[in-house]
Amino acid sequence: MIGWTTPRGWAHIGAGFAFALLIPAFVTQNFLLHIAILVLFSAYLGQAWNIAGGYAGQRSFGHAVFVGTGAYVTAILQTRFGWNPWLTLPPAIIGGAAVGWLIGFLSFRAGLRGSYFALITLAFSEVARILANSLEITRGGLGILVPLSPGFANFQFANKGNFFIVVLAMFAVAFGIAWWLEKSRFGARLVAVRENEDAAAALGVDTFKAKLHALMLSGGMAALGGSFYVQYYLYVEPPIAYGVERSVEMLLVSMIGGSGTVLGPLVGSIALHLISDTTRHFLEAPGVALILYGIVLILIVGFLPDGLISLFRRRPTVVPDTDSGAPARRGAHA
Amino acid sequence: MTKNATISRRSILAGTAALGVGSLGFPAITRAQARTVKIGLVHPVTGFLAFNGQQCRAGALMAIEEINAAGGIKSMGGARFEALIGDAQSQVAVAVSETTKMAEAGANAFIGCFSSALGLAATQEAAKYNIPFLIDVGVSDNITARGLKNVFRFKAGHSVTVDKSVETLDGLNRSKGSPVKSAIIVHEESEFGTVTATRMAEKLPGVGIQVKEVIKHANPTRNFDNIALRIRQQRPDAVIISNYLNEYQLLCRTIKQQRVPVKALYSVLGGGFNIRFAREQAEVSQNVMDYNHWYNPRNPRALEFRRRVEAANLFCTFEVMLSYFCVKILHDALERAGTADKDPLINALASSTFSDHFMPYGPTRFVNGQNQGAQSVCIQALDRDMKVVFPAEYAEAQAVFPLPT
Repeated sequence: MIGWTTPRGWAHIGAGFAFALLIPAFVTQNFLLHIAILVLFSAYLGQAWNIAGGYAGQRSFGHAVFVGTGAYVTAILQTRFGWNPWLTLPPAIIGGAAVGWLIGFLSFRAGLRGSYFALITLAFSEVARILANSLEITRGGLGILVPLSPGFANFQFANKGNFFIVVLAMFAVAFGIAWWLEKSRFGARLVAVRENEDAAAALGVDTFKAKLHALMLSGGMAALGGSFYVQYYLYVEPPIAYGVERSVEMLLVSMIGGSGTVLGPLVGSIALHLISDTTRHFLEAPGVALILYGIVLILIVGFLPDGLISLFRRRPTVVPDTDSGAPARRGAHA
Repeated sequence: MTKNATISRRSILAGTAALGVGSLGFPAITRAQARTVKIGLVHPVTGFLAFNGQQCRAGALMAIEEINAAGGIKSMGGARFEALIGDAQSQVAVAVSETTKMAEAGANAFIGCFSSALGLAATQEAAKYNIPFLIDVGVSDNITARGLKNVFRFKAGHSVTVDKSVETLDGLNRSKGSPVKSAIIVHEESEFGTVTATRMAEKLPGVGIQVKEVIKHANPTRNFDNIALRIRQQRPDAVIISNYLNEYQLLCRTIKQQRVPVKALYSVLGGGFNIRFAREQAEVSQNVMDYNHWYNPRNPRALEFRRRVEAANLFCTFEVMLSYFCVKILHDALERAGTADKDPLINALASSTFSDHFMPYGPTRFVNGQNQGAQSVCIQALDRDMKVVFPAEYAEAQAVFPLPT
């Protein structure tokens, strides 16, 4: 792994965030800021998926259920009950965590693992979409339109630089959570569950609790992403909130970048947006950009199964074992 | 101290990335040298709305080419239109990206976006730049009801269209002795289908048509057997449809295949009712009726326009016409404003009385961005063609109503 836990690594990360903070001051083009926002937003959602899917190994195909929950909580509280949008964020996070608890409790209690768990999350997401399409409180298929009223108090900014700062802060928190997982006992328990759940249980890890907490944490984070989406686009409808495309995007950025790693979702998000936006910009023939995008994805998945982050891993060096004289590998896990 | 003149691999990579990123933000510099007025065309030309989006784009490009060939905008010294083409990929986020990119590339106006969801987001983005946005297709009342000064819609809004579609069905029904006394409404699940179905379910009993059931279906739905069976069981006199292209045509086909006995197949803004459907699925489409945007067939210019569109190997659909006229309305406003500056152009659009068109509308009159004179007509698929059958002042054929048993 990248040696970012060393002082030098910390300096790099600090410099990276400091540089990112300066972007709105120097980048005046809203289009570039918009792309930067989308990159960080995808990276944030990818990191939310990464907590459950990457660290805990509970690969979900339906994380949109959390994003949609956050989006609808924020939209409903604002438009129906007149809440200030900033104040809707804690209930949105709690809502996402609660849905994570519900799905996790039902699935893990039933012993669902691997592809079965992935499918049940997809099913939950579809159920949520159908409910949002049918319930009066979500306005069914009409969706919810948040009135345009730019101003800090309304969590609406005419200047995209402010949205960038908000999403950067969200990403920083997600980054911090991932870093904490790498260092903490909770994170070690999640990795143990991911690598061999039965062995982890045999060693005394409460696997049910560990997975449940991971899914709640992941759900709460994803829900905050949903709230941000609503404030950025000011519109939410069931396919946008709970569409399978959102779930796929979340797992894709994480897996393309490198799941179970701190920087994987960011690397994946940058790569996917660079490919997507560049191809769309330079290729005007309909569909060609999407075809090229697909080809590049296939190549990345085919040749870098551990994600793009594996390109940055230190190559193991071979040093002689002074006791036995046999060569030993070093640096593979640095 | 001297600098090393060699170029490292890292420098090349950094330079290439900077060039790539830089060029994303400055597309206009390389594209336009002469004096031009830039129109951002934000349409979904890929994704599930691709056919409709491509039709919209074709209509707009046709008008741009025509205006440029005729000398451009005369009050601006012959300034030409330049199209900035974008693909919204049938996704809200991409529609916003394209709008932002075009705004920064110097777009003076936008035309789009076929879908209401795309239009709601894109118009809002354009509002942040105060750039006028003409909606070609996109029916949601919310598009013009939010008070955005930069948004204009030539065609009718949703509520008005649905209300008039009920009046039209009532007019047809009464003219034939009211054979239709009950109906089932089948609609897709998004705003478009839901608003149509809800409003029709409210209005139809008022014209003596009992609504037996309202059936909602998901997008996409690829099998309508169960819905057709439900309709057959309930035996309504009419089936009223409101959905998008594929589902529309599949539902019509299933109803015909299962020989569901109905007196009318009537749609409101039928997403799949077009000349292609009439020609390529003649048996399925025969006698299906749709209340939709269409030209005045008694206007010779309309027929000439249709010939031109078909000569260009395109299907003449309402998307082509509406985008075409959005460009024409913009042209008219620019001629009157004499400038492409934002506020004068928005004011010129707001006071537009454009009448050089062949839609059954009359001169434009925008109130809060919505054209007040716009209306649709009832069209019926007859012998591989589409014919206006109601109202009488625009009718070119007798309606086959009720359907022969």
